[in-house]
Amino acid sequence: MDNITLLPRRIFAFVARDFRLYVSYRMQFFLRILSVLTIVTTFFFISKIFAGFTDPQFSQWRDPLATWLTGLAVLNYFMTGFSSLANSIRQEQMQGTLESVLLTPINLPTIIVASSAWDFLETTFFSFLYLFFGWVFFGVHYKGSFFLALVFLLLTTVVLACLGILSASFAMVFKRGDPFGIFLGAGSALFSGVFFPTQLLKTYAGSKLGNISLILPTTHGLDGIRQVLIEGHEFAQVTQPLGVLLGFLVVLLPFSLWVFGRAVRRAKREGSLIQY
Amino acid sequence: MSAISVRNLSKTYPVPFRRLRAFFRRPVKDPVEALRNVSFEVETGEIFGLIGRNGAGKTTLTKIVATLVQPTTGSVAVRGHDSVTHDEYVRRDIGLATAEERSFYWRLTAEQNLMFFARLHGLSDRVAKQRIRELLAKLELEEVARRRFGELSTGNKQRLAVARAMLTNPAVLLLDEPTRSLDPLAAARTREIIRSLAQQDPPVTIFLTSHNLGEVETLCGRVAIISRGSIRAIDTPRNLRDLSSGSEMVHITVAGGERISFAREHLDEKIRELHKDDKRIIDVEMERATLLDVLERYEATDERG
Repeated sequence: MDNITLLPRRIFAFVARDFRLYVSYRMQFFLRILSVLTIVTTFFFISKIFAGFTDPQFSQWRDPLATWLTGLAVLNYFMTGFSSLANSIRQEQMQGTLESVLLTPINLPTIIVASSAWDFLETTFFSFLYLFFGWVFFGVHYKGSFFLALVFLLLTTVVLACLGILSASFAMVFKRGDPFGIFLGAGSALFSGVFFPTQLLKTYAGSKLGNISLILPTTHGLDGIRQVLIEGHEFAQVTQPLGVLLGFLVVLLPFSLWVFGRAVRRAKREGSLIQY
Repeated sequence: MSAISVRNLSKTYPVPFRRLRAFFRRPVKDPVEALRNVSFEVETGEIFGLIGRNGAGKTTLTKIVATLVQPTTGSVAVRGHDSVTHDEYVRRDIGLATAEERSFYWRLTAEQNLMFFARLHGLSDRVAKQRIRELLAKLELEEVARRRFGELSTGNKQRLAVARAMLTNPAVLLLDEPTRSLDPLAAARTREIIRSLAQQDPPVTIFLTSHNLGEVETLCGRVAIISRGSIRAIDTPRNLRDLSSGSEMVHITVAGGERISFAREHLDEKIRELHKDDKRIIDVEMERATLLDVLERYEATDERG
């Protein structure tokens, strides 16, 4: 009970800490905004090459710029959901501060939620910036329910955060060489349909390779968000990707928490909490 | 109920992936036995010292009490709470100050660092600010409160670690070489604070590890000597010194300037001799045994055997 009432204060502690650390490097914020603008502009010009050439069977891709910008914004968010926790654990281990944090009466799920809270706030801002720049400078319009898109975004992010917890557990025990990172990091951009329709994979690389996209939660999350924002689909039309994401969640959430608990216990047994 | 109760504690650091390494015929190191069947109790309000050479097991023992490392066998209880099964309760009751500089955020100021940890401990901002002000004043850190941790001197970093350990007024303070990098005045002031904590109401129990044996001798009510993972002796500093009284020397200067030196155990006999020879004693100097002598004695025994 005590932990639940103190949760907001502890999350705020991490957010305030990370904000202060972030602003201690003054230039990075402005440079990142500039980089988002540069990427959006680049994709605007690439989309001009494709004007009139899009295959009509890929309905979401009739407006390639909108599709890419949604893909980039969401991929950005998904990658944070996936990598944020492992990165914070690694960083705390590298800095040597993990022990000090674990010395406070704070339980593991709280560390998991709180240590990635700032990353999500930051990513929310920059993901929104992709859509915002597309709308303001290049006339990209979105339709459909933003609320439903948000449900997809949150659900996919939580699923990816579960994989992130597994990745953090790996970092805790093996320190480096994280297989989840390699699989999801490189795999999401290629197999999830961020830059091209996933159906093309089947056409050109065969059904075995094409089916890889089906086991990635990012594929279903991105598909749902695009169906809602670009095609204006309603709840009843997107129950399939929603159901798949819920399935991922039911399996991965308890499993990842269990694995993380065991990883911390193992690190405590080996006395390697601050080693990196 | 004891403040800290350590029972039959052993810790062997396992070799990670030992079987896997053996399977691939890679060289496999032996597990490191850091603690062997350690037992002792620390009473509430006691200043308890732990001394030993580097690698003797002091840090492992402190980390187990602090819930950061799990024992292999045996148990540690802090104010009745087991350090493994009720680790959250234990962490509420303890504060740990180590000489490890990397345990702070270097780009945050001293004040911001303390605020972060105070919030993790669940203190409200109002209470935390008040407490941080008091601690910065107590540890003479007010002037550097708004400086980044990375810009602080080693001594100030160490005092900040003590301040952090005291944030929640813990019932048990674990201090790992709290005066290691302090100048003599700051070290004396810190010792004074440690002593006053144990005397306040309710008293704080202090578990102190240090290489400064003089400090341990003046501060601690009882001292444990640890060597190669085993506790070799626990007693008051005075009684421990008496264990080595055979090595204590007495230097007597008699009229005419003659100086006679002998072991303390021969004192009575020598005094009788001088009296018989009608020699007048004009100065007596005692070279007392120190904890260092006691420590060296145990180390020598361990090395021999």
